[in-house]
Amino acid sequence: MFRLIVEKELRDIIGSTKFAVTFLISALLILLAFYVGARNYQLSRAEYETAVSEDLRQMEGLTDWIQAEHSIFLPPQPLGALVTGVSNDIGRNIGLSSRGSLAAEDSRFNDDPIFAAFRFLDLEFVFKIVLSLFAILFVYNAVNGEKEQGTLRLTFTNSVPRDTYMLGKVTGSFLALGLPLLIPMLLGCLILVLMGVPLSADEWMRLGVVSLGGFLLLGAFLTLSLLVSTLTHRSSSAFLALLVAWIFAVLIIPRTSVLLAGRSVEVLSSDEMNYQKARLRAQMWEEDKGKMSEFSPTSGNAQDAVKEFNAYMAEVARARQERYEAAAGRLEEQRRNQEAVQQRLAFGLARISPVSCFSLAAMNLAGTSLDLKEEYLRQARAYRETYSRFISDKTGGMRRGGLILRVMSEDQEEPEPIDPHEIPPFQFQPPQLETALSSSLLDLGILALFNIVFFAGAFISFQRYDLR
Amino acid sequence: MLGTIIEKELKSIILSPKFVATFAACSILILLSVWVGIQDYQASVEQYEAALKLNQQALSERNWAGFATSAYRPPDPMQIFVSGVNNDIGRLSSISRAADVKLRNSIYSDDPIFAVFRFVDLTFIVQIVLSLFAILFTYDAVNGEREGGTLALTFANPVPRAHFILGKFAGSWLGLVIPLAIPILLSMLLVMLSGVPMTPAHWQKVAMLMGAALLFFTFFLCFGVLVSSLTRRSAVSFLLSLVAWVVLVLIIPRMGVMAAGQSIQVPSMAEIESMQEGFAQSRWDEYKNEAQERWKERMSQTQGLSAEERTVANKQKMQQWMLEDSQFRAKVQEEIAAYQRRLTEERRNQLALQESLALTLARVSPAAAFQLTAMTLADTDIYLKARAEDTMRTYRDEVLELAEEKAGKQGDAMGHAMSFSFTTRTPPEKVSDEDGSSDGSGSSGSSDPSGSSSGDSGGGSAKPGAFRMSFSGGGAESPTLDPAEVPAYTPPDRTLEAALAPSILDLGLLALYSLAAFAAAFLAFLRYDVR
Repeated sequence: MFRLIVEKELRDIIGSTKFAVTFLISALLILLAFYVGARNYQLSRAEYETAVSEDLRQMEGLTDWIQAEHSIFLPPQPLGALVTGVSNDIGRNIGLSSRGSLAAEDSRFNDDPIFAAFRFLDLEFVFKIVLSLFAILFVYNAVNGEKEQGTLRLTFTNSVPRDTYMLGKVTGSFLALGLPLLIPMLLGCLILVLMGVPLSADEWMRLGVVSLGGFLLLGAFLTLSLLVSTLTHRSSSAFLALLVAWIFAVLIIPRTSVLLAGRSVEVLSSDEMNYQKARLRAQMWEEDKGKMSEFSPTSGNAQDAVKEFNAYMAEVARARQERYEAAAGRLEEQRRNQEAVQQRLAFGLARISPVSCFSLAAMNLAGTSLDLKEEYLRQARAYRETYSRFISDKTGGMRRGGLILRVMSEDQEEPEPIDPHEIPPFQFQPPQLETALSSSLLDLGILALFNIVFFAGAFISFQRYDLR
Repeated sequence: MLGTIIEKELKSIILSPKFVATFAACSILILLSVWVGIQDYQASVEQYEAALKLNQQALSERNWAGFATSAYRPPDPMQIFVSGVNNDIGRLSSISRAADVKLRNSIYSDDPIFAVFRFVDLTFIVQIVLSLFAILFTYDAVNGEREGGTLALTFANPVPRAHFILGKFAGSWLGLVIPLAIPILLSMLLVMLSGVPMTPAHWQKVAMLMGAALLFFTFFLCFGVLVSSLTRRSAVSFLLSLVAWVVLVLIIPRMGVMAAGQSIQVPSMAEIESMQEGFAQSRWDEYKNEAQERWKERMSQTQGLSAEERTVANKQKMQQWMLEDSQFRAKVQEEIAAYQRRLTEERRNQLALQESLALTLARVSPAAAFQLTAMTLADTDIYLKARAEDTMRTYRDEVLELAEEKAGKQGDAMGHAMSFSFTTRTPPEKVSDEDGSSDGSGSSGSSDPSGSSSGDSGGGSAKPGAFRMSFSGGGAESPTLDPAEVPAYTPPDRTLEAALAPSILDLGLLALYSLAAFAAAFLAFLRYDVR
């Protein structure tokens, strides 16, 4: 009997015009999301490579490493094109020449506000907006629709257990809607391969888990629709209630929870932090200025004395930088801690909606979550150390960030130009698969829980459903 | 008869359970969005005021020679209704001689948590929710009556088809628009009670915004009636309307922009900045060589004098030399800033081409036309960044001129002078310092790798082998400036006319789409088989 119900449900859905139209739209959107994602990745990659080579080119012709103004850039992530997350909102470029704290600037949306106005069409968007809506559209009348048509009573004139009927309904709808979606998903993967988007095995795995999350979201909306269908006697009421629930789940709960958390938890503003840091720098510089006159050379030779002076000042600058970083680090940590509390509250509230759970899981898996900014800055700080060491090696102990004297005489040889390609390249490492999986596990778990709870609700409600 | 049809339609909408649910949902959403908007605006004002205070404090620790400040975009009450790109573009720009104006630190880049789920504003509610509800009420306006058998009954009376379709449209319009006016008026009351400083110009803009929302809503009502007149079954018309809604509201605006983004390439800011950096480097290199020549020339003027005489002569001229150097440096900085502006301008022109194509494609959808109108009216449109940067540039020129004048009056050189003495018998040497000028006092920016320096070799009072180093001039010892003397950055108020002019096209398009949808529905119904 279970198979019969599943088969009937499958036929009902697949044989309908509604299915043909929605499947076509969903398939087109999914393929479009993959194609646009791949093109966007290619363009962003080209933009990134131009920026890197232009950064090296502008240093050509310099004869002194100490003059080099080097910047690093956040490379686009292949999966970021499918789940953009906050990757377009955070700064992509970090200048390493400044001696203060590192700051990432030039977010995509700040550079090109037109993209901010209309946003991007990505796979996450298709799943959370379009597929969730279509899930409702197919299941809102699963039970009460049959009642309205009189087929529900007919079905139960046979010896059909209610639990088998419900299970058959869910399985049938899920198979009818989920399985056909696999086709455009697989074709989308083919598009990625054909367009040369370099996905590693790790990233394929992540994409697989993102898709799994998408299907769990689809399941959550299917089971929710079934629940509402068993709670109402008229399909129009069920549809209306579901539409309102959809608007709240997709549009209202996620946004409002973040805004509520923003108002409830005070976070040190970036302006305040930057001001404090600037004051620190100024104070430390004032303190160090006097140290210059404390210098006395051991050598009587001017060249050697200047070298000694440079080394002395480099040490002063290094000590100042250390003190500054420690103090600035405390400020940053204070802000980070407050942000973490705000984030926990915001996401805790947002997780009431299955859509938020899916978004958060997808962003974590694609490496475009809130952690991206912190991770980028962390790796940039580590790279600055490497770069400073490199400059120090090249200049014989001199570092940027201090006073350096030059002594040049007329008969001095023309200095050789530097080769900027010697600079160690910055390579951003996205979080490991295990890290991404473990941080998305909670949200995937909640999504699964939504499926179970909604189905259990529908199951219980149907046990008491008046079939007449 | 028209009156009867309108009355019937009104009653059937208002008395339906669907109306109660949607009206309640819309009212909650409208009020919620405005409440959230007010909260967000108040938070922005707090942040803005705190930032200004900090900026004043920072200014009070500076002197005119080392003048640098920041200009902040003030929040505008219209962002309550239309956030537009307000949170995506930078809030502030540094104002200094060393670099051109550049907006940075957007709300979303500073606090990406707000970017995760974006913002709910009234425009968003109108664009997504109200359009969906408009379809929900009209998808079965005609074919629903046919299925119910009431269409044939109605036309058993001498009812002109034109009256029927007009009555249907007018009834739905009145039945939905009038009740929606209640939460909208309540939300306006909320704005007034919250103490948001709305000027008459703001209210006029809000009224225009509501007009645009009405046109947009009217389009979807007409569209629902059109689809209903083209199909026989309400299930089919619902499906078609829903698909059209997804395409018009969610897909076309995004696709238009993305297609333009892929057709017209605009160099990234990173690329532009690297080019600017390259130019600045080479220009400073040239300056350094010139400075060395200049100092050599200055030193040669005192050759032949005794060490003591030379020290005295150099000290007398030091202030003059520093001022000269300061002027040379300012010239280089201006040249670099001009080059930066040129590159930025070129990028902006290319961006304008891309935007124009994107907007043309996106305007196929009334949702995009509505969004563009709303953003333009609220001054949170895609040109906000360019406008803010332009006014900040004017501000930059004004304050830098003032700073130069004030520094000149105080006799401050825009830089540091450094003197050292070293007793040795070696011939005079060229001396330059690297990177010292931008540290701490910030008298010149990070792209200025040269400060003024003076070599004073052979000082007689110093012990052999002694090395003395000290800072002088450069405003390091100058009194700090009075922040009250620094004019505040206040962008000019954009008049209603200025905001209205660019939105005329989109308002016209919205009216045209509504008219076209209604005309098509009218024509389709004239040929509709009522049986």
